[in-house]
Amino acid sequence: MEKITRRALLQWSVTMGLATMAASCVPTTSPVSDMDAEQPTSTKTMGSSAPVDKDRPTATPAATQPKPGVEEATATKLAQSSATREPSPTPPEAAYLAAVHGSDPEAITQRAVAAIGGMERFVQPGDDVIVKPNICNANHSFEYASTTNPQVVATLVTLALEAGAKRVHVMDNPFSGTAQRAYERSGIAEAVKAAGGTMELMSQHKYVETDIPEGKDLESWLFYQPILEADVVIDVPIAKHHNLAHLTLAGKNLMGTIENRPAMHRNLGQRIADITSRVRPQLTVMDAVRMLMDHGPTGGDLDDVKRADTVIASHDLVAVDAYTTPLFEMEPEDIGYITASTEMDLGEMDLGHLDIQEIEI
Amino acid sequence: MKYVYWRRARQIVQILSLLAFFALVVYTFRDVQRPVNAQGLMRLDPLAALVTSLSTRRWIAAFIPALLLTMATLILGRFWCGWLCPLGTILDVVPAPSEGAGDARSGWRGVKYGLLFLILFAAFWRNTTLLILDPLAIFVRSVTALVIPGLNWLIVQLEGTLYKAGILRGVVDAVDAALQGTIISYRQPYYQGVLPLSLLLGGILALNLFKKRAWCRYLCPLGGLLSLLSRASWLKRRAAPSCVECSACEKVCPMGTIDGDEMYASDSGECILCMDCAADCPQGAIRFEGDVSIAWDKGYEPTRRQLLTALGASVGGLALLRVTPSTHHPDPRRLRPPGVKEEELLATCIRCGACMRACPSHGLQPSWTESGIEGLWTPILVPRLGHCDYSCTACGDTCPTGAIPSLSLEEKRETPIGKAYIDPELCIAWSGRSPCIVCEEMCPLPGKAIILEEKEVQDDRGGTRTLQVPVVQHERCIGCGTCENKCPVNGEAAIRVIVDPL
Repeated sequence: MEKITRRALLQWSVTMGLATMAASCVPTTSPVSDMDAEQPTSTKTMGSSAPVDKDRPTATPAATQPKPGVEEATATKLAQSSATREPSPTPPEAAYLAAVHGSDPEAITQRAVAAIGGMERFVQPGDDVIVKPNICNANHSFEYASTTNPQVVATLVTLALEAGAKRVHVMDNPFSGTAQRAYERSGIAEAVKAAGGTMELMSQHKYVETDIPEGKDLESWLFYQPILEADVVIDVPIAKHHNLAHLTLAGKNLMGTIENRPAMHRNLGQRIADITSRVRPQLTVMDAVRMLMDHGPTGGDLDDVKRADTVIASHDLVAVDAYTTPLFEMEPEDIGYITASTEMDLGEMDLGHLDIQEIEI
Repeated sequence: MKYVYWRRARQIVQILSLLAFFALVVYTFRDVQRPVNAQGLMRLDPLAALVTSLSTRRWIAAFIPALLLTMATLILGRFWCGWLCPLGTILDVVPAPSEGAGDARSGWRGVKYGLLFLILFAAFWRNTTLLILDPLAIFVRSVTALVIPGLNWLIVQLEGTLYKAGILRGVVDAVDAALQGTIISYRQPYYQGVLPLSLLLGGILALNLFKKRAWCRYLCPLGGLLSLLSRASWLKRRAAPSCVECSACEKVCPMGTIDGDEMYASDSGECILCMDCAADCPQGAIRFEGDVSIAWDKGYEPTRRQLLTALGASVGGLALLRVTPSTHHPDPRRLRPPGVKEEELLATCIRCGACMRACPSHGLQPSWTESGIEGLWTPILVPRLGHCDYSCTACGDTCPTGAIPSLSLEEKRETPIGKAYIDPELCIAWSGRSPCIVCEEMCPLPGKAIILEEKEVQDDRGGTRTLQVPVVQHERCIGCGTCENKCPVNGEAAIRVIVDPL
């Protein structure tokens, strides 16, 4: 027994040594990025707020521009930088943005998606779909409005599967408590499972340093690769108060797709816009069934929760955020990442000229 | 009776119990609540049971399994050491000299009794520091702070390599899913004092280079306790007259207790029932048989002098421990888990580190200097490495001795472990460098214990600007350390939790 064991020990040490060496030799670049292998998570202007360069040619035209030539150029550009499909333009019969009010979260979610063209507009048969709710901690159930409403999330899972999605994975990276516990505490795990979706634990090894070709402040960051590689990403934030960003909305919710988040907080607005330019969710569904009006994003006090019974959906994340802002008696211009995202032509914050449907059920 | 089969059975039991005990430690991690954890292992420990009973002057009911093990030892001898002890099993597979290891009458064997008496006297003075040498505590602590974090790192590196190379993704996903929440944590764990922790474990393993199971022969205090009990054990090894004095048994004995000068007899206080001698005896002359007797003629029995020395050392050692500065003035970073009373903890903590394994944020760490030598490897929160989760009571639920009280979630949320203070020169907002509110944002208290105030602050170019700056409301702060953990400045955080100064 002794000799065999010594040999096993030796083999074990050699294997582990080789594994470590192999790990340290492999460059940190992502398979979909062409950036320099050794580049660390980097910013273009460290620390202080970067001036937004208005003259910089925009890489992605707003999804609303119906010019076929531009659309094509955009698609090519994004195909180089991301496997995720370009957010689709609005078909003629559908609303640009729909806000549905009613007491049944499932019904208003279904109606909101239907009003902007139905899930088939976003999800094609065989698609790999990722739903990104806000499950920021394991402290409170969804009634405290710090995590997205489970029924809203589950309804989107059902709709995506009905549209033919090959699989629907739901995930977030909580900043407090383990993901497993946060998934359970929020009620989302149970609802998603019942709807036929899968809760995915965001594994450490899938965060890969990825370039942000359109970024103004950030050149690259650690992104969760499956989100960049999915065919469709559905952003399902909950409307929450936040002292620095002012509000935690759809743009802020994309903080759950990256690592090293505390470092984002210098120049937060522009950096969230940069992250948004890389993730580009096809569909954004705002859960304003309950809104957290103060002490966000963590919450914990039912007195801070306001029942608004509303779900807002659009392919345009910026428009959804711009629509939600007045519900907190604020202006979209006050929210750094809304203005920064608009400057980068990631969407529309001026809702005046858009086709917005208000529906009561 | 075929003793080769007994030996095979012993080897299988050893491997299974090592795996089971390893799994117990792994599953102690409080991702989701599990029915078993390392508590189950520590409750088997008669030394921990005896020490905590002496130091707290009460019987801790959780230690009933240890009582059963004690009774089993009176019948079977040191079977624990040979068949079950995880450290013993590891020492069986670590390289050791295979010849000439017999030293049946070595006086060094008495050292473990001296150490045992020292630990017991110290326990009577309400000190449990030397339980750092308890083999089960060493096992749980080493697996927690060394083995699992190392495996986690290696596996994630390997997964990342394969993932980036785009090969075997299905396999990697399956492995990752299977290990998430156990070997792989949602965040890589880091433990402070890896070097001293490794030195103790490494030293014990390295002793094997001199003599096989040298730790078990000479030093292990639990072995010492079980050895004293085993001297009266019922099951004893016998060499029959058919012995041809080939000395095969003497050579193979991992404890070196078979004495060629004494007709190949052995000490029932040192025999670990491994059956190697009986299995290897060409004559079949060795038997294990029932016999009511007490072995007390080996030359290294505990002596009155040893007892008195241990008593003196315990008193002197205690005095030295109690005149270190940390007892006079607490280190501001001695952040104990919620509800801990310092005196009670020092008298009850068996240094097993199960709480550190349970802590889901990996913030609970083995104290190195923060609680003095007396508190070596007792649990402290190091917020920079992990915060005290607002919805977690894992440490108190896991502690086998009650050194960390088991609090309800409501109690825990109202039990401060320290208070947060801001360092304005480091703080990004206070120093005027940039807007930053991460500490306020992350504060888990409903209504927040950190508020933001508009303030005109000096920036680093000599001008002024108006920024939101964080202000701690100390009467509300429970010192969970979430703010310190998330503070985005490099190195030391600009907001730090310290022992409540008031």
